[in-house]
Amino acid sequence: MYKVILEELPYLLQGVLVALELLLAFISLGFLVGAVLAVMRVYGNRLLVLLAILIERFFRGVPAVVLLFLFFYGLSGVPPFVAAVLGLGLRSAAYQSQIFKGAIQAIESGQMTAARALGMGKLKAIRCIIIPQALRLAIGPWSNEFASELKDTSLAYTIGVIELLRRAKYIVSYTYGNNTLLVYGVCALMYLVLVRTGNVILYRLERRLAIPGFERREEGG
Amino acid sequence: MRSRSLLAVVGVLSLLLTTIVVGNVSLQAQFDPESTYIVGVEATFPPWAWVEKGAFKGIAVDAIREIAKSEGINLKYQELPWPSLIPSLAAGKIDLVVTAVSVTQERAKVLDYTIPWWEINRVVLVRKDSNLNGITALCCGVTVGGQGGSTDFEWVKQELAPNPGLDIRLREFEDPVMAVEDLKIGRVDSVVIDSDTGDKLAAEHPDIRVAARFYAYPPEPYAIPVTKGDPQGLLPKLNHGIMELYTSGKWAEIVHKYIPGAIILPIPAYMPEYVGSYQHPIPGLEE
Repeated sequence: MYKVILEELPYLLQGVLVALELLLAFISLGFLVGAVLAVMRVYGNRLLVLLAILIERFFRGVPAVVLLFLFFYGLSGVPPFVAAVLGLGLRSAAYQSQIFKGAIQAIESGQMTAARALGMGKLKAIRCIIIPQALRLAIGPWSNEFASELKDTSLAYTIGVIELLRRAKYIVSYTYGNNTLLVYGVCALMYLVLVRTGNVILYRLERRLAIPGFERREEGG
Repeated sequence: MRSRSLLAVVGVLSLLLTTIVVGNVSLQAQFDPESTYIVGVEATFPPWAWVEKGAFKGIAVDAIREIAKSEGINLKYQELPWPSLIPSLAAGKIDLVVTAVSVTQERAKVLDYTIPWWEINRVVLVRKDSNLNGITALCCGVTVGGQGGSTDFEWVKQELAPNPGLDIRLREFEDPVMAVEDLKIGRVDSVVIDSDTGDKLAAEHPDIRVAARFYAYPPEPYAIPVTKGDPQGLLPKLNHGIMELYTSGKWAEIVHKYIPGAIILPIPAYMPEYVGSYQHPIPGLEE
Protein backbone atom coordinates (compact mmCIF):
# COMPACT_ATOMS: atom_id res chain seq x y z
CA MET A 1 0.00 0.00 0.00
CA TYR A 2 2.68 2.51 1.02
CA LYS A 3 4.88 1.15 -1.74
CA VAL A 4 2.59 2.67 -4.37
CA ILE A 5 2.98 6.13 -2.83
CA LEU A 6 6.76 5.79 -2.73
CA GLU A 7 6.91 4.57 -6.32
CA GLU A 8 4.58 7.30 -7.53
CA LEU A 9 6.17 10.11 -5.50
CA PRO A 10 8.27 11.48 -8.38
CA TYR A 11 5.17 11.52 -10.59
CA LEU A 12 3.17 13.33 -7.89
CA LEU A 13 5.98 15.84 -7.29
CA GLN A 14 6.04 16.62 -11.00
CA GLY A 15 2.36 17.38 -10.52
CA VAL A 16 3.27 19.85 -7.77
CA LEU A 17 5.64 21.48 -10.24
CA VAL A 18 2.91 21.74 -12.88
CA ALA A 19 0.58 23.30 -10.29
CA LEU A 20 3.24 25.83 -9.28
CA GLU A 21 4.06 26.74 -12.88
CA LEU A 22 0.40 27.26 -13.56
CA LEU A 23 -0.05 29.32 -10.39
CA LEU A 24 2.98 31.51 -11.15
CA ALA A 25 1.82 32.15 -14.71
CA PHE A 26 -1.81 32.97 -13.99
CA ILE A 27 -1.33 34.85 -10.72
CA SER A 28 1.22 37.12 -12.48
CA LEU A 29 -1.27 37.76 -15.25
CA GLY A 30 -3.88 38.43 -12.58
CA PHE A 31 -1.51 40.80 -10.78
CA LEU A 32 -0.83 42.93 -13.85
CA VAL A 33 -4.40 43.05 -15.12
CA GLY A 34 -5.74 43.42 -11.57
CA ALA A 35 -3.50 46.42 -10.87
CA VAL A 36 -4.61 48.11 -14.10
CA LEU A 37 -8.28 47.44 -13.30
CA ALA A 38 -7.86 48.86 -9.79
CA VAL A 39 -6.27 52.07 -11.11
CA MET A 40 -9.06 52.36 -13.67
CA ARG A 41 -11.63 51.98 -10.89
CA VAL A 42 -10.12 54.62 -8.62
CA TYR A 43 -8.71 57.19 -11.02
CA GLY A 44 -10.39 56.51 -14.36
CA ASN A 45 -13.06 58.58 -16.05
CA ARG A 46 -16.62 57.30 -16.14
CA LEU A 47 -16.04 55.09 -19.18
CA LEU A 48 -12.94 53.41 -17.71
CA VAL A 49 -14.70 52.87 -14.38
CA LEU A 50 -17.66 51.26 -16.15
CA LEU A 51 -15.37 49.04 -18.23
CA ALA A 52 -13.42 47.94 -15.15
CA ILE A 53 -16.65 47.17 -13.28
CA LEU A 54 -18.00 45.10 -16.18
CA ILE A 55 -14.82 43.04 -16.53
CA GLU A 56 -14.59 42.50 -12.80
CA ARG A 57 -18.28 41.55 -12.40
CA PHE A 58 -18.06 39.05 -15.24
CA PHE A 59 -14.93 37.27 -14.06
CA ARG A 60 -16.05 37.23 -10.43
CA GLY A 61 -19.55 36.06 -11.31
CA VAL A 62 -18.77 33.09 -13.52
CA PRO A 63 -17.57 29.79 -11.97
CA ALA A 64 -13.91 29.01 -12.58
CA VAL A 65 -14.66 25.74 -14.36
CA VAL A 66 -17.03 27.51 -16.77
CA LEU A 67 -14.29 30.07 -17.55
CA LEU A 68 -11.87 27.22 -18.21
CA PHE A 69 -14.32 25.60 -20.64
CA LEU A 70 -15.01 28.91 -22.39
CA PHE A 71 -11.31 29.59 -22.98
CA PHE A 72 -10.47 25.98 -23.87
CA TYR A 73 -13.30 25.28 -26.31
CA GLY A 74 -13.70 28.88 -27.44
CA LEU A 75 -10.14 29.53 -28.60
CA SER A 76 -9.14 27.06 -31.26
CA GLY A 77 -5.53 25.89 -31.28
CA VAL A 78 -4.91 27.02 -27.71
CA PRO A 79 -3.27 24.30 -25.57
CA PRO A 80 -4.86 23.46 -22.18
CA PHE A 81 -2.14 25.17 -20.13
CA VAL A 82 -2.57 28.50 -21.92
CA ALA A 83 -6.37 28.28 -21.68
CA ALA A 84 -6.00 27.63 -17.96
CA VAL A 85 -3.66 30.62 -17.51
CA LEU A 86 -6.14 32.89 -19.29
CA GLY A 87 -9.26 31.60 -17.54
CA LEU A 88 -7.88 31.46 -14.02
CA GLY A 89 -5.65 34.53 -14.56
CA LEU A 90 -8.47 36.85 -15.60
CA ARG A 91 -10.63 35.57 -12.76
CA SER A 92 -7.76 36.22 -10.36
CA ALA A 93 -7.38 39.71 -11.90
CA ALA A 94 -10.96 40.48 -10.93
CA TYR A 95 -10.32 39.45 -7.32
CA GLN A 96 -6.91 41.10 -7.14
CA SER A 97 -8.35 44.33 -8.49
CA GLN A 98 -10.66 44.43 -5.46
CA ILE A 99 -7.69 44.00 -3.14
CA PHE A 100 -5.67 46.71 -4.91
CA LYS A 101 -8.64 49.05 -5.08
CA GLY A 102 -9.05 48.85 -1.30
CA ALA A 103 -5.33 49.36 -0.78
CA ILE A 104 -5.18 52.39 -3.09
CA GLN A 105 -8.17 53.97 -1.36
CA ALA A 106 -6.46 53.43 1.99
CA ILE A 107 -3.64 55.75 0.93
CA GLU A 108 -4.41 59.22 2.18
CA SER A 109 -5.64 61.52 -0.59
CA GLY A 110 -3.13 64.16 0.57
CA GLN A 111 -0.37 62.01 -0.92
CA MET A 112 -1.74 62.58 -4.39
CA THR A 113 -2.20 66.29 -3.78
CA ALA A 114 1.36 66.57 -2.51
CA ALA A 115 2.77 64.66 -5.48
CA ARG A 116 0.86 66.86 -7.91
CA ALA A 117 2.07 69.96 -6.02
CA LEU A 118 5.65 68.79 -6.64
CA GLY A 119 4.88 68.85 -10.35
CA MET A 120 4.32 65.15 -10.98
CA GLY A 121 1.79 64.11 -13.62
CA LYS A 122 -1.18 62.06 -12.45
CA LEU A 123 0.10 58.81 -13.97
CA LYS A 124 3.55 59.32 -12.55
CA ALA A 125 2.13 60.05 -9.11
CA ILE A 126 0.07 56.85 -9.28
CA ARG A 127 3.08 54.85 -10.42
CA CYS A 128 5.74 56.31 -8.08
CA ILE A 129 3.82 57.41 -4.99
CA ILE A 130 0.48 55.64 -4.64
CA ILE A 131 1.15 52.11 -6.02
CA PRO A 132 4.31 51.35 -3.99
CA GLN A 133 2.54 52.26 -0.76
CA ALA A 134 -0.67 50.49 -1.73
CA LEU A 135 1.14 47.26 -2.63
CA ARG A 136 2.62 47.16 0.83
CA LEU A 137 -0.84 47.34 2.35
CA ALA A 138 -2.13 44.76 -0.09
CA ILE A 139 0.23 41.96 0.97
CA GLY A 140 -2.03 40.76 3.81
CA PRO A 141 -5.22 40.30 1.80
CA TRP A 142 -3.18 39.17 -1.19
CA SER A 143 -1.80 36.21 0.78
CA ASN A 144 -5.39 35.04 1.06
CA GLU A 145 -5.83 35.27 -2.70
CA PHE A 146 -2.57 33.39 -3.17
CA ALA A 147 -3.74 30.52 -0.95
CA SER A 148 -7.12 30.19 -2.62
CA GLU A 149 -5.66 30.35 -6.14
CA LEU A 150 -3.04 27.73 -5.30
CA LYS A 151 -5.82 25.36 -4.34
CA ASP A 152 -7.83 26.28 -7.45
CA THR A 153 -5.03 25.10 -9.75
CA SER A 154 -6.59 21.66 -9.21
CA LEU A 155 -9.57 22.75 -11.36
CA ALA A 156 -7.40 22.88 -14.47
CA TYR A 157 -7.59 19.09 -14.77
CA THR A 158 -11.05 19.58 -16.33
CA ILE A 159 -9.40 20.83 -19.52
CA GLY A 160 -6.42 18.49 -19.44
CA VAL A 161 -3.72 20.12 -17.33
CA ILE A 162 -2.31 17.11 -15.50
CA GLU A 163 -1.47 18.64 -12.12
CA LEU A 164 -1.20 17.15 -8.65
CA LEU A 165 -4.82 16.18 -7.97
CA ARG A 166 -5.31 14.65 -11.41
CA ARG A 167 -2.22 12.50 -10.91
CA ALA A 168 -3.58 11.37 -7.54
CA LYS A 169 -6.82 10.34 -9.25
CA TYR A 170 -4.83 8.33 -11.82
CA ILE A 171 -3.16 6.38 -9.02
CA VAL A 172 -6.49 5.73 -7.28
CA SER A 173 -7.94 4.46 -10.57
CA TYR A 174 -5.29 1.96 -11.51
CA THR A 175 -4.96 0.58 -7.99
CA TYR A 176 -8.74 0.01 -7.96
CA GLY A 177 -9.46 2.01 -4.83
CA ASN A 178 -7.20 0.00 -2.55
CA ASN A 179 -5.51 3.11 -1.15
CA THR A 180 -7.88 5.97 -1.92
CA LEU A 181 -7.57 7.74 1.43
CA LEU A 182 -3.81 7.40 1.54
CA VAL A 183 -3.31 8.92 -1.91
CA TYR A 184 -5.68 11.84 -1.34
CA GLY A 185 -4.24 12.31 2.16
CA VAL A 186 -0.73 12.69 0.76
CA CYS A 187 -2.16 15.08 -1.80
CA ALA A 188 -3.82 17.18 0.93
CA LEU A 189 -0.54 17.30 2.83
CA MET A 190 1.31 18.55 -0.24
CA TYR A 191 -1.20 21.39 -0.78
CA LEU A 192 -1.03 22.26 2.91
CA VAL A 193 2.77 22.52 2.88
CA LEU A 194 2.69 24.67 -0.27
CA VAL A 195 0.07 27.07 1.10
CA ARG A 196 1.81 27.43 4.47
CA THR A 197 5.22 27.98 2.87
CA GLY A 198 3.82 30.65 0.57
CA ASN A 199 2.03 32.41 3.39
CA VAL A 200 5.04 32.39 5.70
CA ILE A 201 7.11 34.02 2.96
CA LEU A 202 4.43 36.64 2.34
CA TYR A 203 4.09 37.47 6.07
CA ARG A 204 7.87 37.91 6.33
CA LEU A 205 7.79 40.22 3.33
CA GLU A 206 4.97 42.19 4.91
CA ARG A 207 6.89 42.60 8.18
CA ARG A 208 10.03 43.64 6.37
CA LEU A 209 8.25 46.28 4.34
CA ALA A 210 6.26 47.71 7.25
CA ILE A 211 7.33 51.17 8.40
CA PRO A 212 8.82 50.75 11.88
CA GLY A 213 6.81 52.50 14.56
CA PHE A 214 3.80 53.06 12.28
CA GLU A 215 2.65 49.65 11.13
CA ARG A 216 3.10 46.56 13.27
CA ARG A 217 1.57 43.21 12.68
CA GLU A 218 1.21 40.58 15.31
CA GLU A 219 3.04 37.33 14.64
CA GLY A 220 0.96 34.49 13.25
CA GLY A 221 -2.05 34.51 10.95
CA MET B 1 -20.03 0.60 -20.47
CA ARG B 2 -19.58 4.29 -20.71
CA SER B 3 -22.51 5.75 -22.44
CA ARG B 4 -23.76 8.77 -20.70
CA SER B 5 -26.62 10.70 -22.12
CA LEU B 6 -25.57 13.73 -20.09
CA LEU B 7 -22.24 13.64 -21.87
CA ALA B 8 -23.88 13.61 -25.22
CA VAL B 9 -25.77 16.75 -24.20
CA VAL B 10 -22.55 18.39 -22.99
CA GLY B 11 -20.91 17.35 -26.24
CA VAL B 12 -23.60 18.88 -28.38
CA LEU B 13 -23.66 22.07 -26.29
CA SER B 14 -19.91 22.48 -26.49
CA LEU B 15 -20.02 21.94 -30.20
CA LEU B 16 -22.71 24.60 -30.53
CA LEU B 17 -20.70 26.93 -28.32
CA THR B 18 -17.58 26.45 -30.38
CA THR B 19 -19.55 27.05 -33.52
CA ILE B 20 -20.83 30.31 -32.08
CA VAL B 21 -17.51 31.49 -30.67
CA VAL B 22 -15.05 30.71 -33.43
CA GLY B 23 -17.12 29.41 -36.29
CA ASN B 24 -16.64 25.75 -37.04
CA VAL B 25 -14.66 25.60 -40.23
CA SER B 26 -14.63 22.08 -41.56
CA LEU B 27 -11.42 21.42 -43.43
CA GLN B 28 -11.70 18.55 -45.84
CA ALA B 29 -8.02 17.70 -45.42
CA GLN B 30 -6.66 14.33 -46.50
CA PHE B 31 -4.42 12.23 -44.29
CA ASP B 32 -0.94 13.72 -44.16
CA PRO B 33 1.97 11.52 -43.03
CA GLU B 34 3.88 14.67 -42.08
CA SER B 35 1.33 16.14 -39.66
CA THR B 36 0.88 15.15 -36.06
CA TYR B 37 -2.53 14.02 -34.89
CA ILE B 38 -3.75 14.51 -31.34
CA VAL B 39 -4.97 11.50 -29.41
CA GLY B 40 -7.28 12.21 -26.47
CA VAL B 41 -6.63 9.83 -23.59
CA GLU B 42 -8.45 9.40 -20.31
CA ALA B 43 -5.97 7.69 -18.06
CA THR B 44 -8.33 6.51 -15.33
CA PHE B 45 -9.73 3.43 -17.00
CA PRO B 46 -7.72 0.25 -16.64
CA PRO B 47 -7.32 -2.17 -18.35
CA TRP B 48 -7.94 0.05 -21.42
CA ALA B 49 -5.96 3.19 -20.58
CA TRP B 50 -4.16 4.39 -17.49
CA VAL B 51 -0.93 6.01 -16.27
CA GLU B 52 1.51 4.25 -14.01
CA LYS B 53 4.67 6.04 -12.85
CA GLY B 54 4.19 8.56 -15.61
CA ALA B 55 3.83 6.07 -18.48
CA PHE B 56 0.71 5.30 -20.49
CA LYS B 57 -0.45 1.70 -20.30
CA GLY B 58 -3.43 -0.37 -21.38
CA ILE B 59 -5.00 -2.26 -24.26
CA ALA B 60 -6.14 0.80 -26.19
CA VAL B 61 -2.82 2.62 -25.73
CA ASP B 62 -0.66 -0.34 -26.78
CA ALA B 63 -2.94 -1.00 -29.75
CA ILE B 64 -2.83 2.58 -31.05
CA ARG B 65 0.96 2.60 -30.72
CA GLU B 66 1.19 -0.50 -32.92
CA ILE B 67 -1.27 0.93 -35.43
CA ALA B 68 0.57 4.25 -35.58
CA LYS B 69 3.80 2.40 -36.25
CA SER B 70 2.43 0.14 -38.99
CA GLU B 71 0.42 2.90 -40.71
CA GLY B 72 2.96 5.72 -40.31
CA ILE B 73 0.75 8.06 -38.28
CA ASN B 74 2.44 10.67 -36.06
CA LEU B 75 0.57 10.91 -32.78
CA LYS B 76 0.68 13.26 -29.80
CA TYR B 77 -1.17 12.51 -26.59
CA GLN B 78 -3.50 14.90 -24.82
CA GLU B 79 -4.84 13.75 -21.47
CA LEU B 80 -8.39 14.86 -20.71
CA PRO B 81 -10.99 13.77 -18.16
CA TRP B 82 -13.79 11.62 -19.56
CA PRO B 83 -16.50 14.34 -19.57
CA SER B 84 -14.25 16.59 -21.71
CA LEU B 85 -13.15 13.95 -24.24
CA ILE B 86 -16.19 13.71 -26.49
CA PRO B 87 -16.81 17.50 -26.49
CA SER B 88 -13.13 18.07 -27.38
CA LEU B 89 -13.40 15.61 -30.23
CA ALA B 90 -16.62 17.16 -31.46
CA ALA B 91 -14.95 20.59 -31.28
CA GLY B 92 -11.88 19.35 -33.17
CA LYS B 93 -9.47 20.01 -30.26
CA ILE B 94 -8.36 16.38 -30.59
CA ASP B 95 -8.49 14.04 -33.59
CA LEU B 96 -9.29 10.66 -32.03
CA VAL B 97 -10.01 9.16 -28.61
CA VAL B 98 -8.14 6.19 -27.27
CA THR B 99 -9.74 4.44 -24.30
CA ALA B 100 -12.79 2.19 -23.89
CA VAL B 101 -15.51 4.05 -25.79
CA SER B 102 -18.86 2.41 -26.48
CA VAL B 103 -20.57 2.95 -29.80
CA THR B 104 -23.95 4.53 -29.05
CA GLN B 105 -26.67 6.06 -31.17
CA GLU B 106 -26.41 9.47 -29.50
CA ARG B 107 -22.67 9.72 -29.96
CA ALA B 108 -22.90 8.56 -33.56
CA LYS B 109 -24.70 11.86 -34.24
CA VAL B 110 -21.60 13.90 -33.34
CA LEU B 111 -18.80 11.36 -34.01
CA ASP B 112 -17.68 8.71 -36.42
CA TYR B 113 -16.06 5.43 -35.41
CA THR B 114 -13.46 2.98 -36.62
CA ILE B 115 -14.54 -0.64 -36.99
CA PRO B 116 -15.32 -2.03 -33.52
CA TRP B 117 -12.65 -4.13 -31.81
CA TRP B 118 -14.36 -5.29 -28.64
CA GLU B 119 -17.76 -6.06 -27.18
CA ILE B 120 -18.65 -5.61 -23.59
CA ASN B 121 -20.88 -7.62 -21.25
CA ARG B 122 -21.98 -6.93 -17.71
CA VAL B 123 -21.38 -8.58 -14.38
CA VAL B 124 -23.14 -8.47 -11.02
CA LEU B 125 -20.79 -8.06 -8.05
CA VAL B 126 -21.74 -9.03 -4.48
CA ARG B 127 -19.86 -9.35 -1.18
CA LYS B 128 -18.09 -12.65 -0.83
CA ASP B 129 -19.82 -13.36 2.51
CA SER B 130 -23.35 -12.71 1.18
CA ASN B 131 -25.46 -15.63 -0.05
CA LEU B 132 -27.00 -13.69 -2.95
CA ASN B 133 -26.90 -15.42 -6.32
CA GLY B 134 -27.32 -14.02 -9.84
CA ILE B 135 -31.12 -13.89 -9.44
CA THR B 136 -31.51 -12.82 -5.81
CA ALA B 137 -28.84 -10.11 -6.25
CA LEU B 138 -31.31 -8.29 -8.52
CA CYS B 139 -34.62 -8.74 -6.73
CA CYS B 140 -36.49 -9.05 -3.51
CA GLY B 141 -35.73 -5.79 -1.71
CA VAL B 142 -32.00 -5.44 -2.47
CA THR B 143 -30.26 -2.15 -3.24
CA VAL B 144 -28.37 -2.22 -6.55
CA GLY B 145 -25.47 0.16 -7.23
CA GLY B 146 -23.77 1.17 -10.46
CA GLN B 147 -22.04 3.93 -12.38
CA GLY B 148 -24.50 6.72 -13.14
CA GLY B 149 -25.20 6.99 -16.85
CA SER B 150 -23.29 3.87 -17.83
CA THR B 151 -25.03 1.57 -20.30
CA ASP B 152 -24.93 -1.15 -17.63
CA PHE B 153 -26.72 0.93 -15.03
CA GLU B 154 -29.14 2.24 -17.66
CA TRP B 155 -30.05 -1.37 -18.30
CA VAL B 156 -30.86 -1.91 -14.61
CA LYS B 157 -32.80 1.33 -14.52
CA GLN B 158 -34.89 0.73 -17.62
CA GLU B 159 -35.27 -3.04 -17.81
CA LEU B 160 -35.35 -4.13 -14.17
CA ALA B 161 -36.26 -1.28 -11.81
CA PRO B 162 -39.70 -0.45 -13.28
CA ASN B 163 -40.85 -4.03 -12.67
CA PRO B 164 -42.67 -3.91 -9.30
CA GLY B 165 -42.35 -7.68 -8.91
CA LEU B 166 -38.56 -7.36 -8.68
CA ASP B 167 -38.67 -4.77 -5.87
CA ILE B 168 -35.17 -3.26 -6.15
CA ARG B 169 -33.83 0.10 -5.06
CA LEU B 170 -31.06 1.89 -6.99
CA ARG B 171 -28.03 3.88 -6.00
CA GLU B 172 -25.82 5.72 -8.52
CA PHE B 173 -22.10 6.36 -8.16
CA GLU B 174 -19.69 8.54 -10.06
CA ASP B 175 -17.23 5.75 -10.73
CA PRO B 176 -16.99 1.97 -10.28
CA VAL B 177 -14.43 2.20 -7.47
CA MET B 178 -16.84 4.22 -5.33
CA ALA B 179 -19.66 1.75 -5.98
CA VAL B 180 -17.45 -1.13 -4.84
CA GLU B 181 -16.40 0.76 -1.69
CA ASP B 182 -20.06 1.05 -0.74
CA LEU B 183 -20.70 -2.58 -1.63
CA LYS B 184 -17.93 -3.62 0.75
CA ILE B 185 -19.39 -1.73 3.70
CA GLY B 186 -22.96 -2.85 2.94
CA ARG B 187 -24.60 0.36 1.69
CA VAL B 188 -25.54 -1.51 -1.47
CA ASP B 189 -26.12 -5.27 -1.87
CA SER B 190 -24.94 -5.67 -5.45
CA VAL B 191 -23.22 -3.66 -8.17
CA VAL B 192 -23.88 -3.99 -11.92
CA ILE B 193 -20.89 -2.98 -14.03
CA ASP B 194 -19.14 -3.80 -17.33
CA SER B 195 -17.32 -7.10 -17.32
CA ASP B 196 -13.75 -5.79 -17.90
CA THR B 197 -13.92 -3.48 -14.90
CA GLY B 198 -16.03 -5.85 -12.80
CA ASP B 199 -13.72 -8.84 -13.23
CA LYS B 200 -10.72 -6.70 -12.37
CA LEU B 201 -12.42 -5.23 -9.30
CA ALA B 202 -13.36 -8.71 -8.09
CA ALA B 203 -9.74 -9.83 -8.56
CA GLU B 204 -8.36 -6.80 -6.68
CA HIS B 205 -10.79 -6.84 -3.76
CA PRO B 206 -10.69 -10.19 -1.92
CA ASP B 207 -14.01 -9.54 -0.16
CA ILE B 208 -16.18 -9.27 -3.30
CA ARG B 209 -17.07 -11.80 -6.00
CA VAL B 210 -18.86 -12.02 -9.36
CA ALA B 211 -22.38 -13.44 -8.87
CA ALA B 212 -23.58 -13.37 -12.48
CA ARG B 213 -22.67 -12.42 -16.02
CA PHE B 214 -25.13 -10.95 -18.52
CA TYR B 215 -24.75 -10.66 -22.28
CA ALA B 216 -25.73 -7.31 -23.70
CA TYR B 217 -28.24 -7.37 -26.55
CA PRO B 218 -27.89 -5.77 -29.00
CA PRO B 219 -24.13 -6.24 -28.50
CA GLU B 220 -22.28 -3.20 -27.17
CA PRO B 221 -19.09 -2.62 -29.15
CA TYR B 222 -16.02 -0.49 -28.37
CA ALA B 223 -14.34 1.43 -31.17
CA ILE B 224 -12.04 4.43 -31.71
CA PRO B 225 -14.06 7.62 -32.25
CA VAL B 226 -12.90 10.31 -34.68
CA THR B 227 -14.36 13.71 -35.55
CA LYS B 228 -17.67 13.52 -37.47
CA GLY B 229 -17.10 13.22 -41.20
CA ASP B 230 -13.45 12.25 -40.60
CA PRO B 231 -12.01 15.61 -41.73
CA GLN B 232 -8.43 14.38 -41.18
CA GLY B 233 -8.84 11.30 -43.34
CA LEU B 234 -7.82 9.04 -40.45
CA LEU B 235 -10.49 6.33 -40.74
CA PRO B 236 -9.01 4.38 -43.69
CA LYS B 237 -5.61 4.30 -41.96
CA LEU B 238 -7.01 3.33 -38.56
CA ASN B 239 -9.36 0.65 -39.93
CA HIS B 240 -6.55 -0.85 -41.99
CA GLY B 241 -4.26 -0.76 -38.97
CA ILE B 242 -6.82 -2.45 -36.72
CA MET B 243 -7.31 -5.29 -39.24
CA GLU B 244 -3.52 -5.70 -39.56
CA LEU B 245 -3.16 -5.83 -35.80
CA TYR B 246 -5.90 -8.44 -35.55
CA THR B 247 -4.79 -10.72 -38.39
CA SER B 248 -1.13 -10.62 -37.32
CA GLY B 249 -2.09 -11.91 -33.87
CA LYS B 250 -0.66 -8.87 -32.10
CA TRP B 251 -4.10 -7.79 -30.95
CA ALA B 252 -4.57 -11.07 -29.05
CA GLU B 253 -1.11 -10.61 -27.50
CA ILE B 254 -1.96 -7.11 -26.27
CA VAL B 255 -5.36 -8.11 -24.89
CA HIS B 256 -3.97 -11.16 -23.11
CA LYS B 257 -1.19 -9.07 -21.58
CA TYR B 258 -3.86 -7.08 -19.72
CA ILE B 259 -6.76 -9.56 -19.47
CA PRO B 260 -5.22 -13.04 -19.36
CA GLY B 261 -7.48 -15.67 -20.85
CA ALA B 262 -9.89 -13.19 -22.46
CA ILE B 263 -11.86 -14.50 -25.46
CA ILE B 264 -10.76 -12.60 -28.56
CA LEU B 265 -13.76 -11.62 -30.68
CA PRO B 266 -13.52 -11.51 -34.47
CA ILE B 267 -12.82 -8.00 -35.78
CA PRO B 268 -14.85 -6.17 -36.97
CA ALA B 269 -17.15 -6.85 -34.03
CA TYR B 270 -20.87 -5.99 -34.13
CA MET B 271 -21.45 -2.88 -36.26
CA PRO B 272 -24.68 -1.00 -35.47
CA GLU B 273 -26.26 0.36 -38.64
CA TYR B 274 -26.85 3.87 -37.24
CA VAL B 275 -23.11 4.68 -37.44
CA GLY B 276 -22.34 6.68 -40.59
CA SER B 277 -18.86 5.24 -41.06
CA TYR B 278 -20.22 1.65 -40.97
CA GLN B 279 -22.07 2.14 -44.27
CA HIS B 280 -20.46 0.26 -47.13
CA PRO B 281 -17.85 0.68 -48.45
CA ILE B 282 -16.09 0.84 -45.10
CA PRO B 283 -13.05 3.13 -45.37
CA GLY B 284 -9.77 1.23 -45.41
CA LEU B 285 -11.36 -2.20 -45.81
CA GLU B 286 -13.50 -2.18 -48.93
CA GLU B 287 -12.13 0.04 -51.65
